[in-house]
Formats: sequence, C-alpha cells, structure tokens
Amino acid sequence: MGILKLENVGYRYKDAPKDSYVFKDINYEFEQGKMYAIKGKSGSGKTTLLSLITGLEKCTEGKVLYDKKDLKKMNLDKYRNTDIGIVFQSYNLLPRLTAIENIILSMDVSKVKRKDKKKKALELMKSVGLSEEHSKRKILKLSGGEQQRIAIARSLSYDPKIIIADEPTGNLDKDTENEILKIFRRLAKEENKCIIIVTHSQNVCDSVDTVYELVKE
Amino acid sequence: MYILKNSLISIIRNKGRNILIGIIILVIAASSTITLAIRNTANRLVKNYEESHDIIANISFDRKGMSANFKGGEDAKKENIETFNNIETFTIDDVKNYGNSEYLKGFYYLYATSLNSDTLTKATDSFEYEVEDIQTTTSTTSKTTGGNSGMGKGPGGENGGGERHTTINNNTTTVITKSKEVFQSSRNLTGDFEIDGYSSYEAMNDFVSGTYKITEGEMIIDFNSYECVISSELATLNEITVGSKITFKNPNNNEKTYEFTVTGIYTDNSNTDDTKNMYSPSANKIITGNGVIDLLVQDDSTLTTNITPSFIIQSKDVVDSFIEEVKQKGLNEYYTINTNLEELETATKSIENVKTFATTFLIITLIISSIVLFVINMINIRERKYEIGVFRTIGVSKFKLTMQFVLELLIVSIIMLIIGATCGSYLSKPIGNMLLQNEIEDTHNQEQEISNNFGKGPMDMRFNGNKQVEEISTIDAVVDINVVIELLGIGILLTLISSLASMISIQRFSPLTILKERS
Repeated sequence: MGILKLENVGYRYKDAPKDSYVFKDINYEFEQGKMYAIKGKSGSGKTTLLSLITGLEKCTEGKVLYDKKDLKKMNLDKYRNTDIGIVFQSYNLLPRLTAIENIILSMDVSKVKRKDKKKKALELMKSVGLSEEHSKRKILKLSGGEQQRIAIARSLSYDPKIIIADEPTGNLDKDTENEILKIFRRLAKEENKCIIIVTHSQNVCDSVDTVYELVKE
Repeated sequence: MYILKNSLISIIRNKGRNILIGIIILVIAASSTITLAIRNTANRLVKNYEESHDIIANISFDRKGMSANFKGGEDAKKENIETFNNIETFTIDDVKNYGNSEYLKGFYYLYATSLNSDTLTKATDSFEYEVEDIQTTTSTTSKTTGGNSGMGKGPGGENGGGERHTTINNNTTTVITKSKEVFQSSRNLTGDFEIDGYSSYEAMNDFVSGTYKITEGEMIIDFNSYECVISSELATLNEITVGSKITFKNPNNNEKTYEFTVTGIYTDNSNTDDTKNMYSPSANKIITGNGVIDLLVQDDSTLTTNITPSFIIQSKDVVDSFIEEVKQKGLNEYYTINTNLEELETATKSIENVKTFATTFLIITLIISSIVLFVINMINIRERKYEIGVFRTIGVSKFKLTMQFVLELLIVSIIMLIIGATCGSYLSKPIGNMLLQNEIEDTHNQEQEISNNFGKGPMDMRFNGNKQVEEISTIDAVVDINVVIELLGIGILLTLISSLASMISIQRFSPLTILKERS
C-alpha cells in the first residue's frame, strides 16, 4: 500500500447545493520513491485537492489516508510540520527572514532536535543548487528560481516522506523549471520521497511516473 | 522556544510598527504610573489621616425639635421649662450601654457637676459687695424704684433677685422690697465651681489639643480619688500651689464638704475674642476623674450632673449603624447624635478630588489607548495575513501563532512599561503636588468668593457647623510595589485586549485562502 491514499474522496463547499461537488469519488494512491502529477483545467479542483492532501481542508466525503491513518483523526498541524513538505507556486517564504532563517524556522516548528541546524540548512541549500552566499540574503533579494529552491529546501528540512508541490514551476522559465524537476526527481529516486506535483504543465507531466487528471463534472 | 525567538526577530525587523506601538504604550505607562502613584498615595494619605483622626460621635440636645413644641403666652416660660425638665435625659449607665457596641473602637465621657466653696474665691468679674447706705431724711417726697436692697452694682454686674421701692413722704420712710422667685432649668449646674470628671486622659480633649497645658505639677493619676488640677487663674487668685488641699461644699447641703488635693495647675491657651470677661471660661473648672463624680453622686444623688459622652467609631461605614443602634437602645427622641465626619471629609476633600481626577484620567486613558492599540493591531494583522498563512501551512498551530503575536506585543509592552514607569516615577511627585495645589487654590478661591459675598475679607468658613480643619497640602506620590503590580496588570490587560484582533483573525483565517489571495 502507498504512503498516501485517497478513498472515494469528494468535496463540496459548505454553502453549495447538495449535489454540487468540486469533485467526488477520487481514488488515488501515492507511493514513496515515485513522482506524481495531478493535472486538470482551471476550476477542476486541483488546489482544493491539494488542500485536502495537505490537511488544510477536510474532505466532505471519503477518506485521505496517510500511512493507513485517516487524516481526520490526526493532528493536522503535526502532520504538516513532520510528515509532508509543501512547495507553492508563489514560494510562500517569509520575506522578513533570510533564506537560511526560513529553513531553520521550519526545523524549529518541526521540533527537529539537532544542534547544527544551520549546517543542515546550508547542506540543504547546497543540495538544491544554492551557495552559502544565498543563505544570508533576504527572500526578496532572491530570484524566483532561487526562492523556489529555498522553498524546496525548507520542505526537506525535517525530512518528510511526501513533498507536495503546487505549480512549483509556474513562475519559472523553462531552464529553471527543468532544474527544479531534476531536484524533485533526485529526491524521489535517491531519497525515496513521494513527490506529488499539482500542475497543468505538460513538461512536468512528462517528467513524472504517474499522472492523475482531474476532470470537472 | 522558537515562538519567543520568532517574536524577537519580528519585533526587530518591524521597527516602524513596533516603535509606533511602543510610543503609545510608553505614554500609557507614564500616565498610568503617575495616576496610579497619585491615586495610591492619596488613598494612603486619606487612610492615614482617617486612622490618626478618630470619628467621634457626640450626643447633643435637639433644641430645634424641642422648640417646635414651645408654647406662647403668659405662662409659656414656665411651661416650656417644665417641658424641658420632663425630657428624659440619659444616665451614665445609658452611656456605658451605648458604648458597648461592635461599631466602636471605644468611648469616653465627661461627667460634670458643680460645688461651692467657702474658702475659695470664684474667678469672676461679676461679684457682689456691700456698700454703705447713707440716706438723708428730708421732707421732700421722692420715689425710687429698682436695685438690690442695701446692695450696689459692680462693674458689669447684674441686678439681684429683688426689687426695692422706697417712698419718702413727709418724713415718713417706707421701704417696700419685692423678692423674685427664680425658676430655672433643672439641668443647670448650680454651684460656683464646675467639677469636670473625665473617664480617661483621651477624654480630656482640651489637653489633647493643647488648649489646656499643665504648667505646674502633673495631671491626676487616680481617677477615683479626690485629686484635681485647677486653672492658673484660680490658683493665682486663691494662692493655691501644687499639693494644696481645697475644700468644696455641696450646693444642696452646706454640711457636706469635700476635700481635694491639687496635683497640677493648667493654663488655658484658648484665644477668646470676648473682651468683656476678665477670666477665661475655664477659670473655675476643677478637673478630676469620673470616679470622683460617682463618689459625689453616691453621697448626694440630688446633685445636678451633666454627661458629655464621646464615642470613637470604627469607620465611616458604620456611622449610620451606630446611630441606629443607639436609637434602638432608647436614646430620647430629643437627642441627636452628631459626628465630626463632615469635618474630617473636609480635610481630605482636596486630595479626594485629585484622586477622583487621577482615577477618571486613568480610566479614560486606558479606554482610548485600548481602542487605539486594538485598531493598530487590526491593521497589523491585515498586513501580516500572508505571514499567518505561511505559518499555518508549515504546521504552526493556531494557539502557538496566537501566542507569538501576543508575545510580540507583550515584549514591547513590558519594555515600554519599564521605561514609562521610570519616567512616571520622576513625574508623579511634581504633577501630584501641582494638581493638589490647584485643587486647594480652587477651594480657597471658592471660599474667598463666598467671603466677598458677605462683604468681608477672608473669614472663617464655618457653614453648617463645619470647623476649619487642617487639610492635607502635599501629596508625595511614590511608585511603590503596588503601583508596579497594578501597572503590570494594566500592561497585560492592554496586551490581551489589543491582541484580541490577532486572536480572532488567526482563528478565522483560512491559510489556503490567504495564500491564494496573495498569489
């Protein structure tokens, strides 16, 4: 069984009519060591599905199982700061912090118990192609690609089993997109991570092991 | 721990916002310190004043109530006095009964009677003396009316009890003497010397206040033996020294005599503007213990006595309860209980006004500053919505996030409270005294205006029977531990109130919505 499983998942907004679902009967399974893409047109519910997988929302029907455990019964804050890493299209880093501080903060939130957090953060930055010089810069002094690498490094800082990325290359040029995808691939193959990318980029879809497509009903 | 670290980073990296919040809290802290210091010091001063100035209740005769029942007409005078005499007065046992109350700290009384003396000359500027009556008989017819028989009038003297009518007609002298019947109140002390028996030294108000002062010898020690102190005027007039024995006789029975030993001589320092009298009102006062009056009354129960009790009331809160209790214990309706509460309150009026002003100012400051801080925080939260969204997505719980925002404000508050309290502690004393002086000046100006209404210069304001009392004129407001604790409480309260915005927002915000909006 995969690390993450969606069983008959459906979602309907609170004030929506009874039979009006964003999507329903979704049955996906994700395994470690593989890359997945969830694609779909605008309004198909990609971001909503991502919020269900990340525990930011709860599904109105079905179950999301992480390591066979129902997310509804889990501490979702702990789930987000320990078990999954999230990478957003707009990076979602804290601009008042430096690059390395963003990564260390994530470790602090996850209660990573190690004295050399800074060293670990620098290693992570190096692994995504950033130098020590980048670490001291404020977020807004970094390019989009660099910010996305920091976001990936942050998501890896507490060694989660799953990395969920929402349009991670949406704001990046082709070369940078390829570099980011390369990093993800390495994480899946070498570090046994389960990479789930929500995208509408064909290039991304071509790079992953499995593609799930959301079709608007 | 990371919450504290993150709060500190946030404070340092958002200088503009935190300086603005800091300035507001600094102003609040300084003004709160000043007002709290003034309020607490004022409270302490008033409390000390109240502790050092007892609330004394006295029983006085309700003359107004009695005069409402007075009659007019020819026989009115006699009837009115009879009415007065029939009013049941209170006894020494009644006073002791009233004094046995949970509302009192204690009580004392002056138990007075009067005695005569053959050996002592009364200190008075009105006395009777014999004059040689030389009459020449002539054939002239004359008629004289008025004056005492065979007696002259001294300076400032008054007519005696009889009238003389002399008619001389054709060498025949006819003397017609009419005697007056004196009908007087049974409460009047009839002897020449007032014997004041005090129940304790505390009861000797004139000595306590310094109006009377022992200048030779000492105060009586035994309140039950025939010891006394006398006025310097009486001592001089009769050449009495400390240790002398003086003898009094019962005004109702000349056979009964009482010998007192003089233990001390006092002077009366009271200033009297009554220029008609040579001697002070206390000249013929013999001061002794209440036990002596008891002995005199045991010897002759017909002696007229006066009792002036003073009850020391526990606090102003129980004044009414005590008055009610005494009435229930049977105090006659023609007697009322008066206290010096109004006088005491007059003395602390200025400082109470300053305290009220300080408290009102504090409340207004806190309300306005709470609103301002709340609004600033609301704006702050709206600006930091994105940050909240990021924190939530990386797994920071709502509680910890709220804690971080509260902590940020609390750290700024505490730093500014310390600075504000330091500034306030230096300013509280001069500002407190300035406010009090203004208040005192206002009060004096009001009195001056009333004086002017009477067409006079500064006059002794004794309206409604209020005595001029020494008022508290300085308020040395100090920042003590109570002020610091209260200030800390205010700081925490303000922080919580102004953090409400962030608390509510964090609970309501959906991280994904925030991040989508941002995107």
